[in-house]
Amino acid sequence: MTDTALAKPEIDIWAEDNDDSWRRLLWIQVAGLYAVWLREIKRALRDRGQLLGGFSRPLLWVLIMGIGLNPYFRGEVYGEVKYVVPFTYLQFIFPAVIVLNILYTSVQSAISVIWDRQFGFLREVLVSPLARETILVGKILGGATVAMFHGCFVLVLARFVDVTITPQAILSALGLMFVLSFGLTSLGVIIASRIKSFEGFGVFSNLVILPLYFTSSSIFPLDPSLTAAQSVVNYPEWLVAIVRINPITYCVDALRGVLINFNQFDPTTNYLVLGGMTLVFFVIAIWEFRRG
Amino acid sequence: MNTGAGQSGANPTAMIEVTNLAKRYGETQALGGVSFSVGRGELFALLGPNGAGKTTLLSILCTILRPDSGSAAIAGIDVLRHPLRARRNIGVVFQEPSLDDRLSVEENLRFHALAYGVPLAVREQRITQLLDVVELSDVRERLVRTLSSGMKRRLEIARALVHNSRVLFLDEPTVGLDAQSRERIWFYLRRLQELRGLTIVVTTHYIEEVERCDRVCVVDHGKVLAMGSPDELKHTIGREYLRVRPKNSEAKAEILAHYGERAASSTEDILISDVSEDDVEDFLDRFGRRIRSLDVERPSLESVFLTLTGKAPRDQAASPRERTLSFAKQGGEHTR
Repeated sequence: MTDTALAKPEIDIWAEDNDDSWRRLLWIQVAGLYAVWLREIKRALRDRGQLLGGFSRPLLWVLIMGIGLNPYFRGEVYGEVKYVVPFTYLQFIFPAVIVLNILYTSVQSAISVIWDRQFGFLREVLVSPLARETILVGKILGGATVAMFHGCFVLVLARFVDVTITPQAILSALGLMFVLSFGLTSLGVIIASRIKSFEGFGVFSNLVILPLYFTSSSIFPLDPSLTAAQSVVNYPEWLVAIVRINPITYCVDALRGVLINFNQFDPTTNYLVLGGMTLVFFVIAIWEFRRG
Repeated sequence: MNTGAGQSGANPTAMIEVTNLAKRYGETQALGGVSFSVGRGELFALLGPNGAGKTTLLSILCTILRPDSGSAAIAGIDVLRHPLRARRNIGVVFQEPSLDDRLSVEENLRFHALAYGVPLAVREQRITQLLDVVELSDVRERLVRTLSSGMKRRLEIARALVHNSRVLFLDEPTVGLDAQSRERIWFYLRRLQELRGLTIVVTTHYIEEVERCDRVCVVDHGKVLAMGSPDELKHTIGREYLRVRPKNSEAKAEILAHYGERAASSTEDILISDVSEDDVEDFLDRFGRRIRSLDVERPSLESVFLTLTGKAPRDQAASPRERTLSFAKQGGEHTR
């Protein structure tokens, strides 16, 4: 019992804070942004299941899928074996596996939004002096940071798949990965605000993640012979159309350009699509979060 | 008997000013023009059955819900016009826990301190003192998910005070706690109120808890039915009443039918309000052989409540939260 401790007029620590200026409120937003971000990071670090998934997924894709299909990734022309593309299949899917890991982690991070809503923590932040936008940006930044780290797990495997990356390429890749993570975490928030229960989320997120991934020219090049004229001949038109519509295609392509110096599209288009997608998802996320 | 109406604006020491708040959800009128004011350092209770509008009222005061009309001010700041500013003065303990149970006790408090812009220089000292008050110093580094529900509630109270709030709102703070934990919660509330001059607003449907408050406001169907100190309410509204326990449900139904409006059933008992000596004899003549017990009771807040609302305070219904919790316990979807 420490009645005395409270009773003592320790004005210094319980001093009233009557500063209601916009400057002070702005400072609180910054501190709050950091608090929300830090909380997301801490929660992610304590989620062993998610960490394990982040490690095992790329291993599975690179080791099993990559090594397993590596020999088939070449064109056989009249019995004469020739590499269709100037790199191995392992190298080809490596940037895509980074995107896959980011996709999973970003969209799954939206679970924390549902969690917060169902378990009341959202109310705790909603009655704090933080604006809704601050809370949302903090959450997205936190989720994006975690997703980017999961993308980095894959980068660590670069040596084993014969991808040599220059420090400059790493920086560009990290930049692209961050923008992508931010956009996809926003997408997760949008999904989360549309879904009321955890039960639905698992199914739904797989319905979003896997189709987006498989139709992003991640596991096969859009054009087997790498000439535009043949692409439509070799793959059915509907598949090519889907791949072209899928914005993730351009994100994978941008990352490939940076990491293995191979592009199927104009790099500028890639960056525009990546930036545009992120912006659109973020704006919708803010709109949804304000409404909710 | 709307004793709260008409006294707005005149109270200079008022910490909370509520004027004509109204809120409607579709067809249902959740609040129909509620007005009252709460003075500095007062322990104020909102008493009413579930669905009476208590939580709606509290949500408006906490700035998470906008009313259709009316105004509310806390510490002189209009909660509708300056919600962010108003929130700096209030601490809230929700009906359902709102802690992050993956974080430790002190991490929860630190998060709160950051979100409210508590200066780093005083943060740790405040946390230490408050944990001391609610007797949680020993579990400071434990993860919240390992705490009991009583401890969680105490932690929430401590958290609501980290930013030196002037008004503390508690929505059903003792629901789901055992008698001993409930006792502790009220002990802390009283002590904080005395030591810090805190203004406390509590909603509850436990009548016995309201007896400890300075002032009680009885609400039902979104209206203020009565307001005053527990004693005042008992004197002005509570009358002697008869508590009988019928032998079987047939007898219960007959008694309820016979007394109509005056009778209210609470669990096994029937309470018949406003009885005189003759009424008792009349009752014995009619139903004397078909009851197990009979008591003539002096006015209590329960009788006040029954007189005003015509029903006994009910228990909580299960929330969607429980369903989610059971799913989470199966460990689905990295939910934690």
